[in-house]
Amino acid sequence: MPEQAVNESTLRLPFDTPQHAEIAYRVLSVDQEPRRNFVRKTLSLEENVLVVQFSADQVKNLRTAISSFFECLLLCQDTIRLFGDAGTQPSANSA
Amino acid sequence: MVCALGIEGSANKIGIGIINDGKVLANVRRTYITPPGEGFLPKETAKHHREAILALVQASLKEAELQPSDLDVICYTKGPGMAPPLLVGAIVARTLSLLWQKPLLGVNHCIGHIEMGRLITGAQNPIVLYVSGGNTQVIAYSNKRYRIFGETIDIAVGNCLDRFARIIKLSNDPSPGYNIEQLAKQGKQYIKLPYVVKGMDVSFSGLLSHIEELAEPNKRRNKRKKPTDEAEKEPEYSKEDLCYSLQETIFAMLVEITERAMAHCESNEVLIVGGVGCNERLQEMMRIMCEERDGKLFATDERYCIDNGLMIAHAGAEMFKAGTKMPFEDAFVTQRYRTDEVLVNWRDD
Repeated sequence: MPEQAVNESTLRLPFDTPQHAEIAYRVLSVDQEPRRNFVRKTLSLEENVLVVQFSADQVKNLRTAISSFFECLLLCQDTIRLFGDAGTQPSANSA
Repeated sequence: MVCALGIEGSANKIGIGIINDGKVLANVRRTYITPPGEGFLPKETAKHHREAILALVQASLKEAELQPSDLDVICYTKGPGMAPPLLVGAIVARTLSLLWQKPLLGVNHCIGHIEMGRLITGAQNPIVLYVSGGNTQVIAYSNKRYRIFGETIDIAVGNCLDRFARIIKLSNDPSPGYNIEQLAKQGKQYIKLPYVVKGMDVSFSGLLSHIEELAEPNKRRNKRKKPTDEAEKEPEYSKEDLCYSLQETIFAMLVEITERAMAHCESNEVLIVGGVGCNERLQEMMRIMCEERDGKLFATDERYCIDNGLMIAHAGAEMFKAGTKMPFEDAFVTQRYRTDEVLVNWRDD
């Protein structure tokens, strides 16, 4: 059997500020990929852009890893959007 | 004074609680309710929690009349439970911890139940019966650990009740166990069911198969079995009698192992926690046993029995006061997390 090529995908996700990007980076770095998923995930920061690289031998594993990552990312983004300014500026911008 | 916000989402409830120095400031909760005959699945439950959690955080702050800056620590359920719903709570807890620059603590769900029960009832050193949809344990405190004296060797007591409710198509609103309890009140005939206590442990799965057979005699469970020509058998027993007999049997098993733990530890206090703990028949049976031994029963109502964020906030606050710290990288979730893994550094007895 010929050696299988690796499937890769890179997401570049810009945030409003580098601070928010760093928060998302730290929040989303905690969870390891499930061992049986055979997906490698690496997160990095470029100023206000969160860069996430996925690689896997099988496309289907890549897809599940990316879609579950998006669920966490969206929740994290929504939390930042809703509560981002509340801690430093009380009563301002709170819904 | 410690002011803590707790996030709980290990099963089908998502709850946020805020506690300040033992005083309840907010306790809000939403439950994912599935149609009759269906249980809750991890993915769908996580979706429900994602859609509810942020509004609940806002509601809890409003109810407590607090600003995020008033908080000292953010707590979340680290486990045990279903991973996808647990992760929802953990992601929000981590994000809030960084946004508001507050320390973050992961709390064991079972420890949350125990500490909340002790706070609300004032029980000092009770034997704890922890009964819920995912857990069945008899616990006693000794030497800085909550030690498990007995537990289920297969499914949890609440799981047995939930699955029986699904078989007879009871509503899941407000909870399957509550609806079984109401039907059981009209039961008249006691049907003998398998009573499985093995030492300090209990088992419910054989009992569930047996009662399933009684409730649906015509369902073909074994695919290789040829269908018989016999006329369809009518179920012999009413739903009311089945519910009544199921409750009497499984609660008697729980009372037996709790009594044995009391005798072993020479304790005369019992505390019931967990979702099944708000069943009034279980409380009544346990109270009779306690009174016969000159003991005392402590139980709470549905606000604190059923999973809630407050118990996570309270247990987290106790840990925080005792100096427990958790590095941010350790803020993961884990489906398996035994009660006796946690060092109880906030108790000195």
